[in-house]
Parts: sequence; structure tokens; C-alpha cells
Amino acid sequence: MHRERINIMKKTFLLLVLSSYFLLPHVQAQGIAGGHVTGNIQVDGQISHKDSIIGSSDVAEKLLMNARADILYTNGNFLGGIRFEMYQNPMLGFDSRYKGQGLANYFVSYQGEKLSVTAGTFYEQFGSGMILRAYEDRYLGIDNALLGMNVALRPIEGVTIKALAGRERFFWDFSNSLVRGVDGEVNLNSVIKPLADSKLRLTLGGGFVSKYEEGQNITSPDVPRHKLNLPLNVGAGAARVDMSLGNFTLQAEYARKGQDPSIMNGYTYGDGEALMLNTTYSMKGFSVNVQAKRVENMCFKAERAVTGEMLYINYIPAITKQHTYAFLSMYPYATQTTGEMGLQGDVMYKVKKDTWLGGKYGMDLHFNTAVITGLDITGTEGACVGGDGYTTNYFGTGDLYYGDATIEVAKKLSSALKLTVTGGYQVFNPLVEGHTGALHHNTVFVGDLTWKVNKKNVLRFEAEWLGSDSKYDPDDDDKRCGDWIMGLVEYNFASAWFISVSDQYAYKDGIGNYYNVSVGYTHGATRLQLGYGKQREGLLCIGGVCRMVPASNGLTFSLTTSF
Amino acid sequence: MKKILFTLILAAAATIGMAQNATLPQNITIKALDGSSVQTSVIQNDGKPIIISFWATWCKPCNRELNTIKEVYEEWQEETGVKLVAISIDDARSASRVKPWVDGQGWDYEVYIDQNQDFKRAMNVVNPPHTFVLNGKGEIVWQHASFVEGDEEELLEAVRKAMEN
Repeated sequence: MHRERINIMKKTFLLLVLSSYFLLPHVQAQGIAGGHVTGNIQVDGQISHKDSIIGSSDVAEKLLMNARADILYTNGNFLGGIRFEMYQNPMLGFDSRYKGQGLANYFVSYQGEKLSVTAGTFYEQFGSGMILRAYEDRYLGIDNALLGMNVALRPIEGVTIKALAGRERFFWDFSNSLVRGVDGEVNLNSVIKPLADSKLRLTLGGGFVSKYEEGQNITSPDVPRHKLNLPLNVGAGAARVDMSLGNFTLQAEYARKGQDPSIMNGYTYGDGEALMLNTTYSMKGFSVNVQAKRVENMCFKAERAVTGEMLYINYIPAITKQHTYAFLSMYPYATQTTGEMGLQGDVMYKVKKDTWLGGKYGMDLHFNTAVITGLDITGTEGACVGGDGYTTNYFGTGDLYYGDATIEVAKKLSSALKLTVTGGYQVFNPLVEGHTGALHHNTVFVGDLTWKVNKKNVLRFEAEWLGSDSKYDPDDDDKRCGDWIMGLVEYNFASAWFISVSDQYAYKDGIGNYYNVSVGYTHGATRLQLGYGKQREGLLCIGGVCRMVPASNGLTFSLTTSF
Repeated sequence: MKKILFTLILAAAATIGMAQNATLPQNITIKALDGSSVQTSVIQNDGKPIIISFWATWCKPCNRELNTIKEVYEEWQEETGVKLVAISIDDARSASRVKPWVDGQGWDYEVYIDQNQDFKRAMNVVNPPHTFVLNGKGEIVWQHASFVEGDEEELLEAVRKAMEN
């Protein structure tokens, strides 16, 4: 009798243990029917109040919040995903048309070795994006995903053929216009057997994109009763070369766009074109890079009457270096849609250790310079609605838009101390952002010291100075004018916690006192950050990560997790 | 009773089979530094652990991470056979500066460029730096977002653990 009871107890216990296995959560990716579910979730919010000095407006709803959840299901070569987004209400710096919530992204995809097919919303880039780039940048509020179908064929190694068609995302809707494109790329070293081991590596590519949009009634202010004869199909093509030989590399891409009268170019009918050239000489410890670019009338949009940053089919990036220090990126340069020419040079050199200059640990030197000007406009007769646009001299230059030169020296002073000192000189034309006035000439110095106190404690100090010949003018209201000084202290504990305190103060000819306190906690792929104070919009690198942040005055929080 | 137990044991075994770690996506296109397009299936290390680190030339903590690991990379390789694959998420603005950057910094890592961030999206990377450890079977066994001096010790521990899998 007693033994029977023990037996029953044993069996029940075993049963309970086995059943609980199903109830216990699994730490790693959730397995479902042989596949895996992974994803990421982000919630950002701010409680911002009015501050005329930094230009943040009053927020009636007090709390602004952006949130999103991406869920991906992978099973062998099949992939499916959805993204839920919520902007209730959109944070400062985000377009108010994002207000709302819903399923912003949904697709199913087969990704095989020779064939990939995606149906739903997708992202794609041809070459460097000069004729097509569908991408998303959550921090800039950019998402021009295409809803349709995307096919990629890799029939033999080294050959890729892509074909796609879709409609572009526009906030919570999709544009009525159609985008179709085809692109091919050949890596000659894979395809031409004798070249397989050659020192010359060569890849060629080319693509064509066509946009179809229904007609509209657009008349010229000069000839009001005459409707413009608008092309319903606009095509753009590009060809590219990517070559490397020993220590040299050369990339070149040329794009041309057909007649595309749109609000961006004043409804003119001239062709658009863009040329990008990049050459590098590099070896371990030393590199030189030179980039040249010329862009004219290359705003390729899905809808001809839409202004601003939305509905771009292509992507023409700024040719300047993306600076990470606050004062170096105070006057960021953004590509001018009317046209521009630019040149950038970059030199990196690693001074070896145990040399006179290098010291015990060596020293890193980094020099960068960029110059951007407008185009040399030789004729303006065609610059009217229905005309052919400006005429320009291809190799001439116009007004100076931006110029900078920076030199950065990084040196490890001891096993615990690492110092980076940067000096920069910038010339900025306020015209670039719609402000008035003369060119700004700015000098910037930055000191960045990291002190690894011990295994668990790391301190970072940053000091910056910006001297400018600009003075704050209430009529123009550019709050960046004047001379500034900044200090930042960041304390990291046990690779999990951080706290940072900083202040940017305009001590001469300017207005503004941007103080900020932030704390954060990171565990694995989960990160929570809370901040209080005034924040300028821009790239912020604290607490171990870099992200773009909108302007804010008050409390901000951010929670991200990946699983 | 025996039948019930047996069924439960079979079901448990099946779920053990199902609840594995996610593996590295194999067919996403990335660019090698010589300009050719390759699939993510090229990321291999002969059954030994792999570290995948997403970085960008404009991301200071990413550069701190890769430079900190550079100082101990040889030791790590001797001990664990690990390979570090650095995936740059630089877009067209700075992608052409990735190769001179890698050479200028003197890195010995395998570097690829994920210019339109397809790989970044598939791996659910939100802010760089974001680092993953794969075991010998290509399964993702550890991930961490952010880098502060000292984090490389945690990374090494994760690699050592991945060797045991």
C-alpha cells in the first residue's frame, strides 16, 4: 500500500516536471514549428516644454512618443516580417503627418542561394543609390519603402540581376505613382576564369529606374492658360565601376535622369545628372582617400508636386564627413537639391609604437577636408516653369556652400588613459539652410579623455570650444551663432550603468545654455536611457552608443531591446 | 500511465529540437572590400566561434570597441580560434571610406559593408555598436548593444562559452 503511494507520487512528480518544461520561457529565440522569431522593440518619448532660447515649442499633449516593434519569423530560407509603428504624437523633429499608428511594414520573402523574392514592403539600393534607394532611418523619420515585389537572381557566381516594382510609402499611405527598376552587376573576377586570381579586382554594374505618375494640371505663371505637357514616365539610368589593384581602388558612378519637371526643379525640362568619383590608396597603417562629386537636377521623386524630404526615389548624400563631436556638427551640411559640386580628402596615419612621436603605444593621426560649392550657372533664361532649366558650365564652380578641415590626434597616454585631440576650421554659408548673412568662419577645438579607473569604472571627459565670427541676430534667429564652450563628464559602471552630465554655453555673442543629465542601463541587447535638460538635434554618442536625437527641452526617455 | 509518460518524453525531446538558437541568415547580400557582392553565407570559421560586430566610421564607441579588441585579438585567436567579422553599416555617404578606414586603423578583421542595412535589419540591430557571438554551428548565442572600455572581457567570456557548445 505504502509502496504504491510512493510510485504514484513519483509518477505524478515526473509528469509535473515534464509538463513544466513546456511552460517555462526559453531565453533564446522562440522556436515555433521549426522556425525562429526574432525582433526589436523601441520606445522613445519626451515631455518637452517651451523654451524660446533653444526654439522648442510648447507641447499641448505634454508627452510625445514614438514606438515601434519589428517582428521577424525565419524558417530555413523563408522569412516573414511585420512592423508596428506608433507616433502618438510624433516627437519634435518628426513630421506631424506620422501621427497615428498601424502596420508600417509587412512582407514575406524567400531567400535562396540563387534566387530571392520578396513580396510586400521592401528596401533596396542600386549601386550607391543615385537612381534608387528605398531605405529607412528611424531617427530621421525617413522610410521610403516600396510596396510591391522585389526579385534578385544570382544565376552564376558573380552575377546579380535585380528587378522590382512597387509604390512608395508616404506616411500611412502609399503613393499612387509606380516605381519600376532593373539592375545588373557583374564581378569580372568570378565570371572570367583567368581573372580569378588576378590582382585587378573589377566589378561593373548598371541600372535603370522608371517612374510612372498620372498627369496633372500645372500651368506656368507667365502663360496661365497653357497647361504643361508633363511626361508621365520619367526614367533614370546609372552605370558604375568598382576597381581595385593592389593598394589602389577606384569607384566611379554616373547617373542621368530624363525630363522630370517637378516642384523641386521649378518644373523645368532639362536632364539631370550626377557623377561620383572616389579613389583610395591604402595599406595597413596608412590610407589616403579622395572623393569628388557633381550633382545637377537629380531630385528623383515619386510625385512631382511633393516638396521636402518625402517620396525620394534616389539618395544623394552629402559629400562632407559626418562629424560626431557636438561643435564640429553644429553646422551640418545637407545636400543642396538644386545642384552642387564637392571634393573631400581624407588621410589616416598610424604612427608606430616605440618611435619618438608614437611613444609607448603609438599615435593615430587623421586629417579630413571637404569643400562644397554651388554650380557655375552661365544662363538663367531656361529657369522658368516649362523651360529647360539653368545652363551651367560643367567644370566651373559657384558660390561656396561649405568648407572644413579637421585634424584629429589620438594617443594612449598610459594603460588607463586615452586622449583624442581634434582641431577644426569651418566655413559655412547660411544660405544653405535658408538663413541670411555672411559666411560663418568657425574654429573648433575638442579634447576627449577616457580614463579606465579599474575593471569596473570608466570615466570620460570631453571639452569643446567653438570660436565664430558670427553674432546672434534676433531678425535671422540662428541660435547657433556666437562663441561656445562645452564640458561633458560621463561615468560608466560595471559595463551596465552610465551617467553623463554636460553643458553647452554660449559665452559671447550668442544665446543658449544647453545643460543635460542622462542616466542609462544596458543589459545584453536591452538599453534604457533617461535624460533631462535641453538637447540640440543631432548625433549624440553617450553611454556607449551613437544615435541621432531630436531637439528637446525637458525629460526624454528611450528603451530599446533586441531579441 | 507509461504511454502518457512516453508521449510526454517524446514531446519534450521534440521541443528541445525546436527551441534552438536563431542562426545567422545565409542569403543576405553584403559587399566585400574589393567591391564584389557576396552572401552572408561567406561568414564561416571552420566550426570555431565567430564574433560579428556592427559598426560605422562615424560611431566613436564602435571604433573604441574594435581598437580595444585589436590589442588582444591575437591572444584571443590563440586561445579560442575566434574570428571577428566587422560589418559596416556606413551608407553611400561614407561607404567609400570604409576600406581606407580599416587600413588606416590597422585592423586585421574580415570586413564587409552592409550599405542599405539589410543585414542590420535582419539581425535586429538598433544602435551601433551591436555585437554578436556565434558558436561553431553558426547559432547566435550572445549579443550585446553598446560598448564601454571593459566590455571586451564580457565578450571574451561569451566566446569561451560558445566554444563549449
